[in-house]
Amino acid sequence: MKVLLVDDEQKFALMLAKRLALRGIEAEVFFSGEKALDTVEQGHRFDVAILDVKMPGIGGIELKRRLGLLDERMKFVFLTGHGSKTDYTTGALEAENYLPKPLQIEELIETLNRLTDRPPGASDPDG
Amino acid sequence: MDVPATGNDVKGGGVPMDNVKEWFGYDSLAFFGKVNASISHELKNVMAIISETTGLLGDLSEMARGGTPLDPDMLTSSTESIIEEIQRGFTIIRQMNRFSHSVDTPVVSVDLMEILDLVRNLSGYLSFAGKISLHAIDGVTPMATTCPFILQAVIYQAVVCSFQNTGPGTKLELSILSQNNSTWRILFDGFCPKEFDVFPDDRIKRMAASIGVSIHSDREANRLEIGVPVSMEGLAAQPGAPEMPAEEDSLRNRP
Repeated sequence: MKVLLVDDEQKFALMLAKRLALRGIEAEVFFSGEKALDTVEQGHRFDVAILDVKMPGIGGIELKRRLGLLDERMKFVFLTGHGSKTDYTTGALEAENYLPKPLQIEELIETLNRLTDRPPGASDPDG
Repeated sequence: MDVPATGNDVKGGGVPMDNVKEWFGYDSLAFFGKVNASISHELKNVMAIISETTGLLGDLSEMARGGTPLDPDMLTSSTESIIEEIQRGFTIIRQMNRFSHSVDTPVVSVDLMEILDLVRNLSGYLSFAGKISLHAIDGVTPMATTCPFILQAVIYQAVVCSFQNTGPGTKLELSILSQNNSTWRILFDGFCPKEFDVFPDDRIKRMAASIGVSIHSDREANRLEIGVPVSMEGLAAQPGAPEMPAEEDSLRNRP
């Protein structure tokens, strides 16, 4: 599974990518929506995009719309540190899945597996 | 912690405290809520990083139980990351504490540089915020007797209004000058709202007028000037204080 991970909180994104890597999930990390868009525009393909909702520049909602135009097969998961009712409603409408920060990693893995039909057993840290 | 003034105390050079209390209406509450929401978002980010880092340490422990050797460098960097985030969290909480206590004493003698510094830190939690640099007057502490909370609200909204248009990566330069013996001038260079007539709106005008603060903008120079009286002596502290006239171009006519 190839994941596009976009979050302006750099440490959070890098740490999450490490945890995904331990579970056999390759995540390419971007700290801005603009850089992520450039990469997909150049033809790089990802199974799932994990997007932070609130980012400087292109936010997660707009990024999802533009990525979807470039690759209609891409699935989306939204992350947010806000968790206001408005955000939740927007996220739920815009993405198949919407997860609040701090994340529960197993919940994210389950979501990714479900979206990509990946076997659940692949989520063991040493597997 | 300061003890809030009560009853009919008189503060700020003759402003009746009962009138001062009336300033903290819905607009002030909305500002308080907005700032606290951005602070809580920032704290959530801190907690999210700590959560992921401790999660990674848990993953490594599980792997070690399964026979995979521990990587000391990864343990060290994870521990350092947690320490850094805890320090960042403490800094955010300190700013939150300063902000919360700014309503303790409605009118008080304050160092305007401290007000600007707090606004710079608070606005930095907004995702669209650029950088703010502060310029002080050498050897002078710009003291004013004012309502720090309302002054913060006015300055914060000016910063937000500009950064909402210009976005991250841009810069605002804030400096304090003495206009005369009775007024401090806070200059915003690089001020660039989407439309110059959106700031100040009626709500901000009311808040500013209630503490005798004037606001002027210069579209051509991308500059905003906020005039803060050194004292509120003689100011009629009324929620319905007269609105300031639109003075968008007034700076150009100044000597």
